[in-house]
Amino acid sequence: MSHDDRPVTTSGEALALRPSPSAEGVEPEKGRRLRLGIGPQLYIGLLGGVLLTLSASLVAYFSFHQIVQHGSRLTESSIPNLSSAVDAARQSSVVVNGALRLISASSLQEHGTVAEELAREQSALSTLIQELASQTAFGEQTRLIEDHLAELSVHLELIQQSAARRLVIAQALEGLKLELDETNRRIEQHIVTLIDDQDFYLVEGLRRLQDQPSPINERASETELTYSRDLTTLNHQANLSVLLLSNALALSDRGLLPPLRERFRSTVQNFRRAYERLSVRTPDSVLGTDLERLAQMGEADEGSAPLREESLPSLTSAVIDTGIIPLREETLLRLEQEEAALAKGRAASAMLLTEVNTLVEEINDEAVESSNAAQSAAQTGRLILGVLNILSISGALLIGWLFVGRYMIRRLVGLATAMRSMASGDLEVPVEVKGSDEVTDMANALEVFRRYALEVQRLNLVEKLAKELDAKNHTLEQTLEHLEQAQEQIVVEQKLASLGQLTAGVAHEIKNPLNFVSNFSEVSVELVDEIEEVMEEAKSGEVEMSEEITPILSDLRLNLQKVKEHSQRADGIVRSMLEHSRGGPGDWRETDLNALLKQYVDLSYHAMRANNTDFNVTLTQDLDPEMGMLTVVPQDIGRVFLNLVNNACQALDEKRQNSDGGFEPELRITSSRLEDHAEFDIRDNGPGIPEELRERIFEPFVTTKKPGEGTGLGLSLTMDILTRHGGSIHLDTEEGVFTEMRVILPLEPPQDTGHEPPAAAG
Amino acid sequence: MMRSTPALFRATLGLVAWVGVMLHTVQTVGAEELVFGQSAALSGPARALGQGMRVGLLAAFEAVNQQGGIHGQRLVLDSLDDAYEPEAAIANTRELIRRNVFALVGAVGTPTSLAAQPIATEAGVPYLAPFTGAEFLRDAQLRPNVLNMRASYYQETEEMVARLTADLGVQRLGILYQNDSYGRAGLTGVRRAVARLNLPPVAEADYPRNTEAVKVALLDLRRSRPEAIVIIGAYRPAAALIRWARRLDFNPYFINISFVGSSALARELGPDGAGVYVTQVVPFPTDVSLPVVAHYQQALAAVDPESTPGFVSLEGYLAGRLVAEGLRLAGPNPTRTGFLDALRKAETIDLDGFLLRYGPADNQGSDQVYLTIIDSQGRFRSVQRMVPQ
Repeated sequence: MSHDDRPVTTSGEALALRPSPSAEGVEPEKGRRLRLGIGPQLYIGLLGGVLLTLSASLVAYFSFHQIVQHGSRLTESSIPNLSSAVDAARQSSVVVNGALRLISASSLQEHGTVAEELAREQSALSTLIQELASQTAFGEQTRLIEDHLAELSVHLELIQQSAARRLVIAQALEGLKLELDETNRRIEQHIVTLIDDQDFYLVEGLRRLQDQPSPINERASETELTYSRDLTTLNHQANLSVLLLSNALALSDRGLLPPLRERFRSTVQNFRRAYERLSVRTPDSVLGTDLERLAQMGEADEGSAPLREESLPSLTSAVIDTGIIPLREETLLRLEQEEAALAKGRAASAMLLTEVNTLVEEINDEAVESSNAAQSAAQTGRLILGVLNILSISGALLIGWLFVGRYMIRRLVGLATAMRSMASGDLEVPVEVKGSDEVTDMANALEVFRRYALEVQRLNLVEKLAKELDAKNHTLEQTLEHLEQAQEQIVVEQKLASLGQLTAGVAHEIKNPLNFVSNFSEVSVELVDEIEEVMEEAKSGEVEMSEEITPILSDLRLNLQKVKEHSQRADGIVRSMLEHSRGGPGDWRETDLNALLKQYVDLSYHAMRANNTDFNVTLTQDLDPEMGMLTVVPQDIGRVFLNLVNNACQALDEKRQNSDGGFEPELRITSSRLEDHAEFDIRDNGPGIPEELRERIFEPFVTTKKPGEGTGLGLSLTMDILTRHGGSIHLDTEEGVFTEMRVILPLEPPQDTGHEPPAAAG
Repeated sequence: MMRSTPALFRATLGLVAWVGVMLHTVQTVGAEELVFGQSAALSGPARALGQGMRVGLLAAFEAVNQQGGIHGQRLVLDSLDDAYEPEAAIANTRELIRRNVFALVGAVGTPTSLAAQPIATEAGVPYLAPFTGAEFLRDAQLRPNVLNMRASYYQETEEMVARLTADLGVQRLGILYQNDSYGRAGLTGVRRAVARLNLPPVAEADYPRNTEAVKVALLDLRRSRPEAIVIIGAYRPAAALIRWARRLDFNPYFINISFVGSSALARELGPDGAGVYVTQVVPFPTDVSLPVVAHYQQALAAVDPESTPGFVSLEGYLAGRLVAEGLRLAGPNPTRTGFLDALRKAETIDLDGFLLRYGPADNQGSDQVYLTIIDSQGRFRSVQRMVPQ
């Protein structure tokens, strides 16, 4: 994270470090500017829209005003007139139909319902006509219409009353019909029994079971025969009168009633006469009453004349039981009158309709005119409105696009995007929203939040890293421990390896003193032989013993001293080898560094030569005689020298083998004691160390040698040893020219070696 | 969830049951009692028939009600008088259906039934055990709501003719019939029966309904010298004919059809009744060896100690028992259809020894015709065959 990315809108450092920064961090900068919140922005946007709409409405109002003025003529006069006229026409036919329903009503209840309906329709019709009259200028037509309406009402009134009366009569007739059936059945059962009795009497002369039979002359007398004939007549005439009355009930032609009445009167006369005669013998009050009732049911007033229109009872008078025939007569007559009234009513209605039609046509003409004017005004209005609509819509779109789309939504989308990226864990991108309203506030708040989150994230990261580091450290410590163990092991192995390497040198070193010892011993033996000769000679006295022996003994002493010297030398070599190869840390000792250096240079040089007879080198040793003693671990420092000299010798040998004979290997060893430290230089004119290896040359396992020739640990160990001694090693090289290794050791050993300082040891 | 399921289930069951009860209530008259309607002649010359049917029905209903009704419902009889006139029968039937009776039962007469039954059929109200053997009521397809109990007039007249010809060797047969649908039904039955024997009736005479004007008919019959006269009529004209015949020493065998009203006939005839045969469609009302008759007598005595057992009231009683059995079979809260189906689908229905059986195409329960004769004491005796006088 680079702090350079932070937006200039917020002061990043302050925000990141302070827990509640928004008030101080954001507001002071913005507070000075004019602040426009979403509310005001929206209201301004809306106001813009409203203003546009308002202006559109204003223009629309004015253009519609025009249309309305044209249209009002149509709606205020022509259309109402037209519709009332049409309603009136429709209503008048409804009324006429109502009259027809009145006539055909089959019950008083139905009649009442229809009459009520009709009254309503009639009043509705007159209302319509009155409206029409009051609204139109066509006075003549409306006056005629009102006249026809009045006429129609008169006929309807007649029909209604007449039909009501007819229905009352019909009820009475229904009752009479039932009574007629009942009476007829009784009369018939009576007369049939009487006839049965009389016929049986005529044959058997018996009227009752217990009677004795009448003589034949009595049975066949004129009286009995007349009685039989009267019974037959009675039966026949009674049946006939019932039949006539039934016919009268079903009759629909008034013209047929008078003859029927005539015939009924004669049948009544006949059965009365017959009954009169036979009632003398067998008075039967039930039969007589029934017969008289039959006559009354036909015609209460037997002298009455046929009904005429003039003699009709008034419509409002009560219906009296005047008998089936008169009631039926009145019914039929009234029906005729109603039909006539209906016809007149229809005619009046037709006239009314004609007048209404005329009126409608005139109104219609007027309406067409108004409608045309309104239409053209509407056309103009439509055009203006169209233009205004386009203006309003584009204005609204512009506001929507500019404010909502371009400004609000884009910023909100930016905010949302920032939130989304934060939610998905990307806290690095700063939240940046321009402007100075609530969206910006939200953005700023979000930015603060983002910083918090970031800080928290970082803290978490550090903690995590610390933990990881701890764990790594622990691992490293363990590894180090292992490495140290390994290193010790390696050091031992290295020691053994170098011992092996040194064997040849050691052998050579020992061989030299041994040669001396051998030679001097040989000479010494010879000298002893000489002494024995001398002593032999002396015995013989040939020579002066002392004179002769003394020089020989002095030579012998000299030889033996040499033997002793060289034996000691060999012994020193062997002891130092043992020390070199001994495992474990060595002891700090005051050591002659020059001697140590020289010893290991010789060892290395001779070992090299022993392995490779071709190997030769010009060895120059320039050792500072002032070097003196330093407190070191001699076997460790010896190993340092050995390593360095070995490396130099090997590098020289390698270069010699690669060159074509002109190469003169040189090895220069220098020691010098300076003011505060000692320096030891091992310099060869070998191939040098390549640039890329120089940095890593002291790392473990880095080597220039072929695999198997070196462990790669030499210089690493060297470094470690020197570090323990508080010293250092420095490389100076030029590829193909030289390599110089400078070992620097302090004059005093370091204090924290863990070993007792040499002074204390001393 | 698990706890609410049974509750919901119970609620649903409850709702279903409630709806079921409501639906049943619509079809039935009420939970407490079940009302049956009767339109019959309670006045007029045939009143003995209507009154007999009514008292028999009441006896049966009362006996059932004494035992707690059927499925807890008491049986109630609502009777209206039609005086044996078809017009009145129509009005009565309409009124009873308006009163929402469960079924019509025990109507009396052929012309009345002919008028009333179509109304009941149209309303879907059962028309049960009418006191008539008219053939038109025995068409199960056209009249799904009708269940007859008694044997038909055809079966009665066939039995009459069989006995007269087989037992007495009668060759000359006269017929007196009431001049209406009842009389003509009987006439047709007799004609069918004799036609099979190739014995055309020697005389046919009629009289008008609700009159006793039979004397001229008697003269007409006598003229043909019949050996036996079959009477398809009501008890008063029938009695008048027989008495006048006796008075004239004209003594053919008289045989009446069940509808005549046996007890009333015997009463009207008095001593003249001896030797007059009547065919019956119910067992002998004093033959207590039949359990149903014993029960009938007890039930009749319980409702009307004054009345004596008779064929008509026994028929009424049996009709009442049939109704009760149908309700028992139909189960609680019966519907009209359920009731009719229960009777139709039942095997033989045993009303304490009086056996009935219906089927899909058979709406007549009994085919039994019994022969009875009036003895010199004016009492009925049950006979298996006729004997010469």
